[in-house]
Amino acid sequence: MAEIIQIVVLGLALGGVYALMGSGLSLVFGVMRIVNLAHPSLIMGGAYVAYWGFRLYGIDPLIMLPVAAVILAATGVILYKLFFEREARSAKYSEMTVLLTFAVAMILEGGLATAFTNTQRVTSPEYATDAFFIGSVFIPKGQLYAGIVSLVLIGGLALFLKFSRFGYAIRATTQNREAAELLGVNVNFVGLASFAIGVGLAGAAGTLVSFVFSFYPSKHWEWIAVLMSLVVLGGMGSILGTVVASFLLSVIAAFVGYYFGATWSTLTFYIALFVVLLVRPQGLFGEKPELA
Amino acid sequence: MKLSQLLAGTAAVAVLATGAAAEIKIGASLPLTGAFSIAGEKHRRGYELCVDLINERGGLLGEQVELITSDNRSDPATAINQYERFINVDQVDAVFGTFSSRLTFPVASLLAKNNFVHPVPSGGALRIYTQGHENLFYFQPDAAEYFGETLTDMIQELIPEDQRPQTAAVVAADDFFANAVEAGFLGTEVVDPADGSVVEDLSPGYLADAGIEVVYSEKWPEEGFNDWLNLANSIKRSEADLIIALTASAEEAVQLTRALQTVRAEPMMVYYSQGTQTEFYEGTGDASETITMHTSWHPAAPFEGTLAGEEFNNSDFVAAFEEAYGNAPDEDSAIPFAVCQGIEQSIRGAGSTDNAAMGEWLYGRTADDPVRTVLGTFQWDERGLPVDKPFLIAQWNGGELQFVYPTDQFEGVSELQHPKDGF
Repeated sequence: MAEIIQIVVLGLALGGVYALMGSGLSLVFGVMRIVNLAHPSLIMGGAYVAYWGFRLYGIDPLIMLPVAAVILAATGVILYKLFFEREARSAKYSEMTVLLTFAVAMILEGGLATAFTNTQRVTSPEYATDAFFIGSVFIPKGQLYAGIVSLVLIGGLALFLKFSRFGYAIRATTQNREAAELLGVNVNFVGLASFAIGVGLAGAAGTLVSFVFSFYPSKHWEWIAVLMSLVVLGGMGSILGTVVASFLLSVIAAFVGYYFGATWSTLTFYIALFVVLLVRPQGLFGEKPELA
Repeated sequence: MKLSQLLAGTAAVAVLATGAAAEIKIGASLPLTGAFSIAGEKHRRGYELCVDLINERGGLLGEQVELITSDNRSDPATAINQYERFINVDQVDAVFGTFSSRLTFPVASLLAKNNFVHPVPSGGALRIYTQGHENLFYFQPDAAEYFGETLTDMIQELIPEDQRPQTAAVVAADDFFANAVEAGFLGTEVVDPADGSVVEDLSPGYLADAGIEVVYSEKWPEEGFNDWLNLANSIKRSEADLIIALTASAEEAVQLTRALQTVRAEPMMVYYSQGTQTEFYEGTGDASETITMHTSWHPAAPFEGTLAGEEFNNSDFVAAFEEAYGNAPDEDSAIPFAVCQGIEQSIRGAGSTDNAAMGEWLYGRTADDPVRTVLGTFQWDERGLPVDKPFLIAQWNGGELQFVYPTDQFEGVSELQHPKDGF
């Protein structure tokens, strides 16, 4: 029994980190219909902010989280203005953004590698390699803290979207861009703000990644398939779906890894992606960004 | 403009162009991005430093050396295309090898077909050297399948019988290189991927030979694996005395070490195939204490080499690297530097960049007249594997990577710390 509890704990712990990594991607798709392949590169950007804060000044990555979120959100504004705004009304917008964000990912990777080299980095606050032990079951502190922070941020975002006036505007734009515009919503600004929030979430997720996993500029290629499988399983655009999918797939992968071998645990995400696309293409929670 | 002026200008350009073409061109395709980017970038630095130093010393055969590097994105197909481009478009005179067995294996066929000398910095899988390729020269001690023998020899020589590990957990990346090392430890057959024939049967394996029982073994996929805590927990539960972790990169070694620290694993001894890099210590800190690892190079090893016809030893390399890049080198830069030294010596020895003559010169090296590099001396057998060159084992102690085995090669060997006191 302890074995099963341990596997569930490890799966949930990993799922918490994945949830925040995927939620920004889901938000940007939900509102802007941008399939942001550069999202993991932006997560790397947040990880570097945390790394240098820790390395140079000994600042805890969790304290660097708002700093990284703001810096990356500002980066998101610049990227949106440079690459996405002028094409927002194109009939082929989503298709175009796949190639566009792929290019942005490569540019970001090159920029990060030039600035920080391809050397692997990781931040090492004490809790990153410590655990709570309850009998023979352990709960890794780093992933636990990351998961709690992740859920708090996603919960805050959900409340913001559900109850704030601007949140209404975002949700209206998500559901029907033209109708929202007719009702007076400044959809261009909503798009810009949503993109910035999504990229800001990537920055926040990056600070968690910085002490949960090691990272380097090219690492983002390993993340994109995992994150896409989470977002597709949850339902493109559904943040709640992404959160549920993150926990679900992480726990399943942990069981697969334990009983069938580590090689198969990674495959769990890809198999889930194929199965969802074949059986329920809209994902667990459909296309709409339902939050409750 | 008068016709004579035009002709004079054209002639001047032609002279300049001829001058440029007189350079010795060397091509190197490296994984500067992608999964192997960390080691790839360090390889580039090793090659570039060596070429710069040769040029500072007057060049090679009276000509400057031009190094052309390109990023193969850790992709074998791209690596092949880039070497083809070096040969057919850039018309290079020689090549330096790429990083990793995965990229080296297909590149070796192409370079052999084009009769190029192929100096391999990092491609230790035995299968690379059993394809019958000529002019293939490996610049590390021996094939990866034979790593294990050094570890078990060290255990039997340096650790009292009652303190030796009795059981082992062997975990490995599902990677060309890591699989090769694992084959030696576990005693599996090495199979030629081309025709399925058995290249070498390594049974019963070095662990069995040493009387160490394997109680747990596992592989993880070479890319995209993140479930390190689950793996570490399984290793801990096996209660193995010895953990053998065969990673394809130092990054994986960092991830696994941190996970083992988190689950509070308490093995008697830990051995890695990677982890000599400074980034490993930065990522693991005190958890690295007493972890042993395979290495081909150590900054304190008194290896004596030559460069541009002058004495250029390992200590000179360390100093030059620190001056050029502002940080200490590790083996991922030292090994390509040695490759460059080997090719430079072969061109000088052959008196030209004729690859057939270079290969003949390299095959002709002996114990008395070897290639001399910052990795020590080299001479090769007909497969391209070094002769009489021992592996080294290093150990992290107090934040310092100490060289602990073999003990009879040169001065400066540190005492092996055993057993490990947790992570």
